[in-house]
Amino acid sequence: MTRAQRSLTLWLAVALILVAFPIAAPILPLQSTVAIDIPGRFDGPSAEHWLGQDELGRDVLSRIIWGARASLIVAFGSAFFAAVIGTILGLVGGYFRGLAEILAVRSTEIIICLPPLLLALLVITILGAGIDTLIMALTILFVPKYTRVVYAATLQTGALDFVTAQESMGTHPMRILARTVLPNIFPPLLVQFSLTVASGILLESGLSFLGLGVVPPAPSWGLMIRAARAALDVQPLLLLWPSLALAGTVLLLNVICDRLQEVITPRTAERGGAAWLRRQLGLTKPEPVADDTPLLAIRDLSVAVSTERGTIGLTDTVGFTLKPGETMALVGESGSGKTLTGLATTGLLPNALKITNGSALFRDCSGTVLDLAKLTEDQFRPLRGNDISMVFQDASASLNPVHRIGDQLAEVIAEHRKLPRAEIDTLVVDLLRRVGIPDPEQRRRAYPFELSGGQRQRAMIAMAIANSPRLLIADEPTTALDPTIQAQILRLLDGLKDENRDMGMIFVTHNLAVVKEIADTVSVMYAGEVVEQGSVAEIFERPRHPYTAALLASVPESESTRLESIPGTVPRAGEMPEGCRFAPRCKHAADICASVDGLQTLADGRRTACIRWETVT
Amino acid sequence: MSDQATAMEQTSAGTVIVEARGVSRNFPQRQGLFGEKRDVWALRKIDIDIRRGEALGVVGESGCGKSTLGRLLLALDDPTEGTVTFEGQALNEMRGAPLRALRQRMQMIFQDPFGSLDPRRSIGAQIADGLRNHQTVPPAEINAEVARLMDLVGLDPVTATRRPHEFSGGQRQRIAVARALAPRPDFIVADEPVSALDVSIAAQIVNLLADLRDDLNLAMLFISHDLHVVRHLSSRLVVMYLGRIVEEGPTEAIFAAPRHPYTRALLSATPSVRRPAGYRGAILEGELPSPADPPSGCAFRTRCPLAVAACAGAVPELEDIGDKRRVACIRHADMVAP
Repeated sequence: MTRAQRSLTLWLAVALILVAFPIAAPILPLQSTVAIDIPGRFDGPSAEHWLGQDELGRDVLSRIIWGARASLIVAFGSAFFAAVIGTILGLVGGYFRGLAEILAVRSTEIIICLPPLLLALLVITILGAGIDTLIMALTILFVPKYTRVVYAATLQTGALDFVTAQESMGTHPMRILARTVLPNIFPPLLVQFSLTVASGILLESGLSFLGLGVVPPAPSWGLMIRAARAALDVQPLLLLWPSLALAGTVLLLNVICDRLQEVITPRTAERGGAAWLRRQLGLTKPEPVADDTPLLAIRDLSVAVSTERGTIGLTDTVGFTLKPGETMALVGESGSGKTLTGLATTGLLPNALKITNGSALFRDCSGTVLDLAKLTEDQFRPLRGNDISMVFQDASASLNPVHRIGDQLAEVIAEHRKLPRAEIDTLVVDLLRRVGIPDPEQRRRAYPFELSGGQRQRAMIAMAIANSPRLLIADEPTTALDPTIQAQILRLLDGLKDENRDMGMIFVTHNLAVVKEIADTVSVMYAGEVVEQGSVAEIFERPRHPYTAALLASVPESESTRLESIPGTVPRAGEMPEGCRFAPRCKHAADICASVDGLQTLADGRRTACIRWETVT
Repeated sequence: MSDQATAMEQTSAGTVIVEARGVSRNFPQRQGLFGEKRDVWALRKIDIDIRRGEALGVVGESGCGKSTLGRLLLALDDPTEGTVTFEGQALNEMRGAPLRALRQRMQMIFQDPFGSLDPRRSIGAQIADGLRNHQTVPPAEINAEVARLMDLVGLDPVTATRRPHEFSGGQRQRIAVARALAPRPDFIVADEPVSALDVSIAAQIVNLLADLRDDLNLAMLFISHDLHVVRHLSSRLVVMYLGRIVEEGPTEAIFAAPRHPYTRALLSATPSVRRPAGYRGAILEGELPSPADPPSGCAFRTRCPLAVAACAGAVPELEDIGDKRRVACIRHADMVAP
């Protein structure tokens, strides 16, 4: 049983015990709810009356328990009926659209236009007070809420591929609604249910309070609150008990719905425990390190995630060096740790991840060498966007949608350089021209959504190079682009490198063909480790690691009709094999592979993690 | 599976199963709140045939209409003009139960292996849906059939009770393939089925699709923006630009000597591990024009290095240039040799 399931069981048990009281009310040894005892008016708790007596001397405890019956029946009854009707209307309206949408969804919206209390009053005046009428009135009131929630969720879910897949399989629409759409809109439905039950209890109290719900002398929480209010100065406890019952029920219901949602949603993000405390060195200025670092030297860098079950290593002893003017490709498949290595270098790791070992020495503009692995967030901020900058895959998610691109660009410049506004404006236009955005004087006033995907990527590159960084980290910058646009962006990045020979670039990608066109050197990563390093020409000509060789063979460009593929999948973090991590998928694996680990430098300066490279490559 | 394979071999291989004639699709858009409705053509006058045992490749960049074409061929959408026929039956005239019955014979594989599976149901149940809908096998044999399908695509049948999130991207795509095969279709549309996968995993799926095409004699429409992948799977290729076919023919012939300037630009823009390091081919400037406001005449002329004044005149027709090739460019003759 997972934590969420345990928690749900616990709260359900609490709820069951509490519900058992009103259900068992007739057989419990409770005093009469209507027996009047005038001498005992407003008496406090006593051995005979545990919660005291009300304004007519009736027992408060038994009235609370009996009153729960009315309150809960009304609240759950109306929430349930409204859920059924509202869900059907919302599903039909959202899935079939057109006329069904108008009839099912728009018509219920008329109800929303009417003030809720007035509507309830109208229904009750016509049908007369009583629990049945109350349920009906509240159901009418609640239906549009469900319809709207379900309608919106259905629109969203209906556009997903797995629903289209069902359609293309010839599944009957009703079956699609019941089996595919309904379970997937359950979470918002559940939230709505807990909200309406809560508001049902409150509305019942309110209507009974107005004398329109439960008819006295029958008890309900709302009636009790009304009576207690009048006697507030005589016996304040009378108000406390029903209010506590009301608040407790609403809270309990919210907790249960929350837990239920966690349980039925597959793979709700694992809870990472308390947010990891960032390292605080107490230094205001980063400590310079004496070193002959060319631009960037990463050594033994390891990143780990802390989970409930302990720390799990994600990358292990990653190392490489980068010279000014050089482009290094960090290539690997998903889960290889290439992006994490890039993020660790910029101090942008998510909170649950931390650097557990190693150093990342970086020579900044002033020539000082800093260890990026040990900087605090405050020490990193002046570097980012200035000495070090990043370009991400998804430009539309990385640009702020509500600001003009020119303003965003100006902000990046102003953050690091004190310049007059006019000068910044000239720089902005200049930068946009450099990255190939046509008509930069006009286009700088454009919002990100007004640009095409390729132009947004250009705008993001302009932001990255705005302060002439020493290190540019480009994480899959062309993956989301079409081939002809990708070619344009690659050429742009290549040109930037020529303009600024002091800049080094780390190009993170999974695409070997792109590596070949843009990079000078390559680090191939597999399962969190660097397995091979060398120059592009050498590695593509003659790979020295079976993984690199297999990766190259699986690129769909070979003349053979069948593609080479690597059997199996990348091992999950925390389940890494001993020794060589590629061995279980390697066709050359031998016994010795289980015991060795680590990169070795070959005679020609290349590095490989394969112990058997001489025989297998 | 051997029954299925032999049953299919008895029907003649190589016959045309899906046919589109003059298919166009318009998505009219209103300009502003009270503006006039404006035609936005996602597809214009598409003619294609797909035969049994053949994977017809469709390449083009986003917005070229390739996915719309896939949806039209599966009757998930209706053409504004023209007809799509499946074994001679016009799909746009069918509705309701007969259409659902016909859907048994055509299936789709999606790009995103994470979005195309219902996260809340076991993969076995999702594969079984296709079997139940069409009573492909008696109810008692459903479990055995699910196991057989999972085995066919290289999954362990023991895992049938698991939900999709327990599988990797490549395994999910195998599940999606198994689900598509369940109703024993004759025609499959694969819309970028390997674009979201890692290189080594994509190779597994491409090989799997190639095997299934041959073993089950399937007709396939293989949509991709990656020319290299298409080359591996398809012997015939259609290149699209802004809703129109610009070039069509045997894949190898097109790779060897593209006759439309767009095809040539696409080939040179697609990165390759076989070219020398640091290679820079001719790069196409500019971007795809808006389909709401296409250029007059040839839609590609605004980016075309060969464009001349005449290109702005009439829309070039797809012209037969021999060797089963067709091209829509008035200057295709100048493309032959430099």
